[in-house]
Amino acid sequence: MRSWAAGLASCAAVLALVVISPHAAGQEKARKAGAAASSPAGASSAGVGSYAQRYAGLCAACHGANGRSDMPLTPVLAGQPSFYAITQLFLFREGRRSNEGMTAVAKTLTDDDMRGFSDFIGTLPPVPTPPQATPPDAARMDKARALALQHKCVFCHGADFSGGQQVPRIAGQREDYLKMSLRGFSSGTRPGYTQAMTAALSHIPLEDLDTLAYYVARFPDRAAAPAGK
Amino acid sequence: MKQIRSLIALTALCCVGFSALAQQAPPPADEPGWAKGRPKTDVAMKMAPVPAFPIPTAADKLPTAKFKLPPGFKVETWASGVLDARGLREGAKGNIFVSSLFVANKVYVLPEKGNREAKVIIDKMPLATGIEFYKGSLYVATNTKIMRYDNIEDKLGNPGEPKVLYDKLPGGTDHSWKYLRIHKEKLYYAIGAPCNICDPGEYAKIYRMNLDGSNIETVASGVRNTVGFDFDPKTGDLWFTDNGRDWLSEEFPNDELNHVTKPGQQHFGYPFCHQGNLPDTEFGWGKSCDDYAKPAALLGPHAGALGMTFYRGKMFPAKYQGAMFIARHGPWNRTKKYADVSVAWPDAKGGAKVEPFMTGFVENNAYLGRPVDFLVLKDGSMLVSDDHNGAIYRISYGK
Repeated sequence: MRSWAAGLASCAAVLALVVISPHAAGQEKARKAGAAASSPAGASSAGVGSYAQRYAGLCAACHGANGRSDMPLTPVLAGQPSFYAITQLFLFREGRRSNEGMTAVAKTLTDDDMRGFSDFIGTLPPVPTPPQATPPDAARMDKARALALQHKCVFCHGADFSGGQQVPRIAGQREDYLKMSLRGFSSGTRPGYTQAMTAALSHIPLEDLDTLAYYVARFPDRAAAPAGK
Repeated sequence: MKQIRSLIALTALCCVGFSALAQQAPPPADEPGWAKGRPKTDVAMKMAPVPAFPIPTAADKLPTAKFKLPPGFKVETWASGVLDARGLREGAKGNIFVSSLFVANKVYVLPEKGNREAKVIIDKMPLATGIEFYKGSLYVATNTKIMRYDNIEDKLGNPGEPKVLYDKLPGGTDHSWKYLRIHKEKLYYAIGAPCNICDPGEYAKIYRMNLDGSNIETVASGVRNTVGFDFDPKTGDLWFTDNGRDWLSEEFPNDELNHVTKPGQQHFGYPFCHQGNLPDTEFGWGKSCDDYAKPAALLGPHAGALGMTFYRGKMFPAKYQGAMFIARHGPWNRTKKYADVSVAWPDAKGGAKVEPFMTGFVENNAYLGRPVDFLVLKDGSMLVSDDHNGAIYRISYGK
């Protein structure tokens, strides 16, 4: 450390402009977005295991034992990044995002609980959308595909809509919940940390938002994928 | 990986459908300002700004013991549980004020001595980030307005409604939060560029106003986003950190440390020229870097150089007295992470020499902590805020 600093100082004598060379430790590649990378203190001391049981008791009735909800307007948690999950729990607890049931639950959670539940949610693998009785409307899917590209959904949610860090996975989310969320962001009633989603959506016609929800809920559209791949 | 490849294939397929339909579609949403100029590569497309973690780190899990400082210095945890701790300012009656960004939406106060528990004095105020204390009043700036809470230290239980000094700030999300200083009866603030890279119009400038909000003047132009500046106690000159544009490359451009020698007359390059010698790939055409004020020092690529203070105390050794401390918060749009507290000394030629001072913020390419702002206490020790952990550290020398 000292010799490193001394070396830098001697460079400084030669150069009028000093560039501090970054000295990040470790040669690892960028970590996958996830709990360990974003949570400063890592997993909660209680461990993920006990929160698996608490999830089964407290959350599973509405959100599904595997995180794939069957209940109307109730989001799929399977495959959500833990950072996104804890951010939402935090917004519910602070009273910034409103939902009677979730606010009531969140108010009972300690900081360690919020870490524990969100770390556990982060371990739930994505669960594919159950097979639909009728195949997706191809024309509507085509239109939505264009809308998703044009309105830059992929810029934050990723080309596969899997999200990451504070950004939710929206691929395969329930259509009714997506519709409600998109309309909520659009009108400004559903808050995030910032107004980014409202700014992105507020000028998009509601009909197009619903079309986006239709598409993203059915993503990846297996019918549209090349046969045999 | 296989999955990613098949998704790329699927995306390519989507593009075919897109071009066929593009002409009839409604006007596109703007990409987020921070994403302007982002390469369409897989790695870059996964990079985005990451907010502070919404739960402060418990005192016993803070990385305080891992920090490294020059011999004779020591660092301790001064306060924990201060969610999203950003700006630091000191009152006249033993109170430390702490601001936050968009996670907490709060301004806190902590007593300098005694039970250091953060008490919320302003709540539910988005981007309550710019704070300054002067003659009994707390000045608070959000992205839309600048306010003043008079006699704040006598009303910590109920600060009441502030006097609004100015409510015509442009708002928005990108680089819209504030950093404040008062110098010679003028309030200094900046309006950052409303994007990563764009023609900023009247944005991208440091301004000053009278303390009642009147008589706004430009102090410096071509300033992309400064959230750290201070006045040299010897010369009275303004120095500021500036965050360079994103996405040109992993290694360029550098953030800058700048020195204002002719208030109101200097242009520091944005969006035409970066780091004093790198014309912008788009806005740099037809421009020469020689026409803009050069940085005093370069602070590293995408360093996130935030808070800056001149050390006015007496506790640190003589070589640090009059030096600048700079918080390098660390990059979000660079594969290899780094963060530290650096120290800079003005040289005789208008430039500056920079060295790392406090390190150990990164382990296995992940942040253990991220420094934001400083406050030199009356005893000469120095506080450092860390929004990643919601903590404040105290650096002291000797004893």
